[in-house]
Amino acid sequence: MRLLVSADIHLGSPIRSVALRNPELGDRLKQAGRDTFVEIVDLAIAEQVDVFLLAGDIFDNGYPDLKSRAFLITQLARASEAGVPTVLIRGNHDALLDHNAHGDLGANIHLLDKGAPTVDIGDAAFHGLSFDTAHVSKSFLPDYPGPVPGKRNIGLMHTSLDGAPGHDPYAPCAEGDLMAHGFDLWCLGHIHAPFERVDGPVLAVMPGIPQPRHFGERQGGTVTLVSLGDGAPEFERRAVGRLGFSECSLDLSACSDQQEVLRNLRDGLLTAQVPGRDVAVRLHVTSDRHGTEFVTELASEVLDSIDGVFLDKVKSVPTPHQPGAETDDLVRLMREELVEEGFRQAALQQLEELRFSMPSEIADELHEDSLDAFLEEAIAEVSLALHARTSQ
Amino acid sequence: MRLNRLDLIRYGRFKDAHIAFPMPAEGMPDVTILFGRNEAGKSTAFNGFLELLFGFKGGAHPYAFRFDRSDLVVGAELDLPERGTMVFRRNSKRTQSLLDANDRPINEAILSGALHGLTRDSYEERFSLNEKGLREGGERIAGAQGDLGQLLHAGLSGLTGMAQTLDSLAERADRFYKKRGRGTVLKTGSDRLKEIGRELRADRLTTERERKLRHDRDRTLADFETAGAELRQAYQRQAASKAAEIWYDRTEEMGQLTEALANFPHGPNLAPDAAERVAGLVEKIAAQSIRITEAEEEIVKLDQIIEDHPIDNLAQPLTTELDRLDQLTIAGAPLMGRASTARADLDRRREDRDKLRQQIDKALVLLDVPDAPVSTVALEANDLEDLATAVQECLTASLSADAAKEAAEVALAQHGKAPSEPQDLAALRVTFDNWKAVADMPSFEVTHGQALARLTKVTAGLPQYWTDLVAAGLPAQETLDEVSRDWATLTADLASARKDLEARAVELVEAQADLTTQEAAPDAVDIVKTEETRRQREIVWQQHRGDLTAETAEQFEAAMYADDSARAHYLTGAEARQRLLAAQGKVRSTEVRHQTAKTRHDDLIAQHDRLSEPCSRLALALGLKEGTPTSAFNARQQALTSAAEAAADLSNAEKALKDRLVQQKGARDALTAAARPLGYDPAQGDLPTQIQRALTLEDNDRNAWAKWQDGEKTIAELDNKVEQARDDFETALKKLELLTATLPLPDCSHEGIRAALPHLRSLQQLYEEYKKLSVRIGALEQALAVLADSAERLTRVLGEPENEAGADPIHIIDRARSRQTLATRADEKRAEAILQRDRLDRSRRRAETERQDANADLEASFEGQGGQNLMPRDRVEKLVERDRLRTEKATAERDRQKACEGIDADLFAEELDRMPDATRATELEQALQDVQLTRDSARDAQREADRLYREAFQAADRSDLATEQAILLEELRSGARQAAVARLGVLAARGALRRLAAERRGSMLRDVEQAFLTMTTPAWTGVDVWTQTEGERLVGIQPDGNTVPVEEMSTGTMGQLYFALRLAGNRSFAREPGPLPMVLDDIMETFDDVRARAALQLCAEIGATGQAILFTHHAHLVELAKDCIEGVAIVNMPD
Repeated sequence: MRLLVSADIHLGSPIRSVALRNPELGDRLKQAGRDTFVEIVDLAIAEQVDVFLLAGDIFDNGYPDLKSRAFLITQLARASEAGVPTVLIRGNHDALLDHNAHGDLGANIHLLDKGAPTVDIGDAAFHGLSFDTAHVSKSFLPDYPGPVPGKRNIGLMHTSLDGAPGHDPYAPCAEGDLMAHGFDLWCLGHIHAPFERVDGPVLAVMPGIPQPRHFGERQGGTVTLVSLGDGAPEFERRAVGRLGFSECSLDLSACSDQQEVLRNLRDGLLTAQVPGRDVAVRLHVTSDRHGTEFVTELASEVLDSIDGVFLDKVKSVPTPHQPGAETDDLVRLMREELVEEGFRQAALQQLEELRFSMPSEIADELHEDSLDAFLEEAIAEVSLALHARTSQ
Repeated sequence: MRLNRLDLIRYGRFKDAHIAFPMPAEGMPDVTILFGRNEAGKSTAFNGFLELLFGFKGGAHPYAFRFDRSDLVVGAELDLPERGTMVFRRNSKRTQSLLDANDRPINEAILSGALHGLTRDSYEERFSLNEKGLREGGERIAGAQGDLGQLLHAGLSGLTGMAQTLDSLAERADRFYKKRGRGTVLKTGSDRLKEIGRELRADRLTTERERKLRHDRDRTLADFETAGAELRQAYQRQAASKAAEIWYDRTEEMGQLTEALANFPHGPNLAPDAAERVAGLVEKIAAQSIRITEAEEEIVKLDQIIEDHPIDNLAQPLTTELDRLDQLTIAGAPLMGRASTARADLDRRREDRDKLRQQIDKALVLLDVPDAPVSTVALEANDLEDLATAVQECLTASLSADAAKEAAEVALAQHGKAPSEPQDLAALRVTFDNWKAVADMPSFEVTHGQALARLTKVTAGLPQYWTDLVAAGLPAQETLDEVSRDWATLTADLASARKDLEARAVELVEAQADLTTQEAAPDAVDIVKTEETRRQREIVWQQHRGDLTAETAEQFEAAMYADDSARAHYLTGAEARQRLLAAQGKVRSTEVRHQTAKTRHDDLIAQHDRLSEPCSRLALALGLKEGTPTSAFNARQQALTSAAEAAADLSNAEKALKDRLVQQKGARDALTAAARPLGYDPAQGDLPTQIQRALTLEDNDRNAWAKWQDGEKTIAELDNKVEQARDDFETALKKLELLTATLPLPDCSHEGIRAALPHLRSLQQLYEEYKKLSVRIGALEQALAVLADSAERLTRVLGEPENEAGADPIHIIDRARSRQTLATRADEKRAEAILQRDRLDRSRRRAETERQDANADLEASFEGQGGQNLMPRDRVEKLVERDRLRTEKATAERDRQKACEGIDADLFAEELDRMPDATRATELEQALQDVQLTRDSARDAQREADRLYREAFQAADRSDLATEQAILLEELRSGARQAAVARLGVLAARGALRRLAAERRGSMLRDVEQAFLTMTTPAWTGVDVWTQTEGERLVGIQPDGNTVPVEEMSTGTMGQLYFALRLAGNRSFAREPGPLPMVLDDIMETFDDVRARAALQLCAEIGATGQAILFTHHAHLVELAKDCIEGVAIVNMPD
């Protein structure tokens, strides 16, 4: 039996990168989430898998739109017509999959929940639970049915497993308990970076987010094909998605002139190129002379001649201070200033004024807890700007 | 740290070059002047020093032009605190590039520790200064608006853009966000976000929106259904009303009909077509009665006709006889057709036959056979034509035989004697052509002569040994061109340089004269001179105070006057000093220009000398004397080349001539060998001439031989034709003989027959006509006999008297025919009348029958009906009207019942109760329209709600808006961070600068003031610090006590202040972390001597606590330095 496992589609949730300011890329990727899901369904049909599995978070709470549900039904019906049934569960973002509110999904599309936690397809029993609330602090595992004797048992669960940085804890579940539940395969969702766990004959698959939406999800862009034969389950990750994210760190401090900076940028950015896929690059530069704005200009110029690579963000930082080195008076005195209570009050006031003017969605970016980090950046910025101005 | 020696081992243009920086004597400042002209490598040396300290930079190396980057090496001997003197080397490797004197790697920490952790950039910023940096630094610190912290920071760090940097950061933050700012990035972005949010909310199909849309759809559907029910009810009531109205009206109508029917006859309803049927029957009875009457009248008329045309009994026998007569024919034609003309025709034809017999007899006489029976002489037409053809063939064959014989005789006479047979000359022609190809000698001899003449001509102006020069190899044209071009360019440059040098010398003399004049001017005294006169006055005063003699008094008076004069001149001599300064500057610049011109002139002379040697070599190689101008090289090279070519041409011509003679002999031998077998002999004359003639005539001989052979063939063919003609003639004669065998003619030869042919033809025609005419006469005679016989029998039938038997048979026959015709016509009339009468009789009987049937039907139609007293038409009309009324009544009943079908009984009863009601229909129609409108509105609302529901799912996904929203949020997020960082940076920097001012104001401010005054005295007497709300500000103090803010100082003064700040900063660094070498690159280039001296004194100050290295290419600065700085080391840049 061959299965295509995916999760965390987050339909309707857009890509969040300044790279999409590029009109051509922006136009290409405005439907990236939907296009990627179509690509996944195409893959399921092309690979003639026996079942297509979706382990939750097909939608996104932030973008509740029943049009997305209509789109989902259209695509899953397409798979169904091609002989590929779908088994899915709800995740913490999937209020739109509520049967009571919005009706059935269609033939050969099985949404598992507490009322119908198991469906048999061929010689396999698929088990899954869907919960209604966005935050679940207890493990779902005790509520899952036991394995059906004489059948292959496959579980679908939306869980943060043992916990993952950057992800809300959702139905946390100890990995050991999961693998010992008696199922042959666990298809998981919630964590956007893909991974697999193998424990003897048991396999657990976290397929990752198929279309990364921002730099933090750069490890995504995958789905997983699983083969259940006589032996242990076999898996194969497949790359999907229209845009990837990557990081490019360059030390430009040794560059003697602008031409050399350009050469370094070009060499570095070329390494980010991926054939057949657009890539948004986050560029980290170390330089005592070239500020962020200047590096952004140069990198944009370089990228004009590199197909498929776009700037996500640029950060230029000064060369780290050598231990024992004579510190610039200004830097030293700025550091002394930072610890002054009066200064901190003034800084917090500045931060607060700006924060109150920000759209609420991103106001936390300027949270007072980040003051020290901002001040560190501020010292570096002043130093860099001062040296850059002198060098110009 | 101190730099003792810099080793430019392989670096730039230098190889194993060393620059030593001598250690100063005890108590002397550590100042080294590194002197070298422009482009002498001062910048190279400084860069080498930096790369030694901090390592090579990546990428293409600017000084890797003599040596590859990988081969570059610099070194130095350094005095390091706590380590003493060490020798270092640095190569361009990425790692372990710092080496000791034995090329062993050294830990970088040794150097970086000595450098106090400074980076290359910060070292350059703090410990180097050039003229441009000094000038721009002065301009930039104006932006500090005198802020003490910023100024001191500039002095310490060498970074002068603090004010601009802080302004720029503040601007960046303000661009993103500013309180009450309208066009800020944040405001614009937030507005757009709100707009997008509104659009997305409007577009997004949320659960709530879907629920509302679904609710709207269901509600409008229910409204629609309610309105539909009401509409149906209205329709039903309207239908019930209409039905009640019909019921009411029909009931009224039925009552009236019942009353009317009481006045009509009783009886059942007539058949549907009874009226038409009765009318038809009445019509029919009348018509049949008329037909019967008319038939009876016609029958009477026909009986009369039958009686008037009885039967003729003779008609049958006459018909039989006449039919027999009509059947008779004469020569295939009916007898009766010719009977009338036969008698007259018979006589005329008998005369014609007699005339023909006479003409036949005459023809026989002409053929010399008057007694022969005509049938034996007269031939059939075909036989006659065969005979004529045979005669013609005989004549034709005879003529052909004669013509062939004559042609053969003519051809034989013209044939003539046979020529000799030609020989095969093909092989001879080949050998002759070969000989001819090589027979031409004069052209080779001419070519040889021309080549010899050309060689003689082109070598006329060359030395005897020109062939040796050519053999030794001539210089390449490109070499000569290059040397000539270089020589010409160099000569022109040299002339130009000489002229330039002379002009510069004149300029220098003029500038020196001007300087002498300006120096001689009393007003030109400078501050140094005034100080000197003051010092001199003080010395003389001291002497005078000690001695108090007249002499010292006079000396003091003189010194005092001199000092007063100097000061007076100084006070009034600003312009003169300016002129003097200008003159000094001009002398310096003209000296430099003169020196430059001289250097260029010398260089060109050296190049000229270097180029002379290859020119001499080339002259010798071309056979010219040494010193020959290069302009002659090309012509000589051309002449030698032409001579070599001419010699080669002559050699080629000689060889070609010899080769041709050998070829010619061989070809002649081959020609002789080929000619002998064919009978050509050289003894009979020039062999080629003989052969050429034979070859020329070969075609003519061959043509004559072929023509004679053709004549032979023609004669043979003509002989054959003669024989053939003779055979044809014999054959024709035999055929003629066969045809004339039975003819009794006396001459049967072809000539005799030819003469008799016209008579034979005439006889044949006459005899044919004669036979035809005889046959015709016989037929006419027979016809006349038959007619007479028939007339006789007819006479007997008609019963006429026999005596009239001799009458004309034709008349008798005509009478018989008339009688027969009359009888036939009577028969026809009678038969026709009988037929007509029978038909009319049948018609009359049929009409009587039909009339009886019609009367019976009419009676049947009225069976059971009343109204017997009426005529059928009136009766049936009455009955039809009765039935119509009955039908109307039945229809009304049906309509009444039909109107009730499908109608709600209750509604019908209600509406019927209202009848009659004239306004009810209008009232109900209005009500119906109202309900219809309500229903239509409900339907439209339902459709719209349904459409909205469906379209909500089908609407285009506004992911473009969601994407723009996400991008905007990212941009604002990033922008907010940058703005916050910028704003906090400015806040922190301003605080730090205040701290810096407070921290350094004590020690460093004193150093600044001292350095500033050293450079600016007496224009400035000090500096001060003002404390203001926005911070502490540095101001300058002038001799009159005025204070001037920094930003109001002149550019020059600000440059001096910046220099003072840098020196103070350097001193500060030297005091705390420790001294590092300070490199000043020609910073005094634009200073006048006074300022230059002051600056040099400050350099000596630097040298007092650390090492000062001053690069310059100005000799006078070297002199000034020697004058100003005791123990200064002067080092020249290595070559």
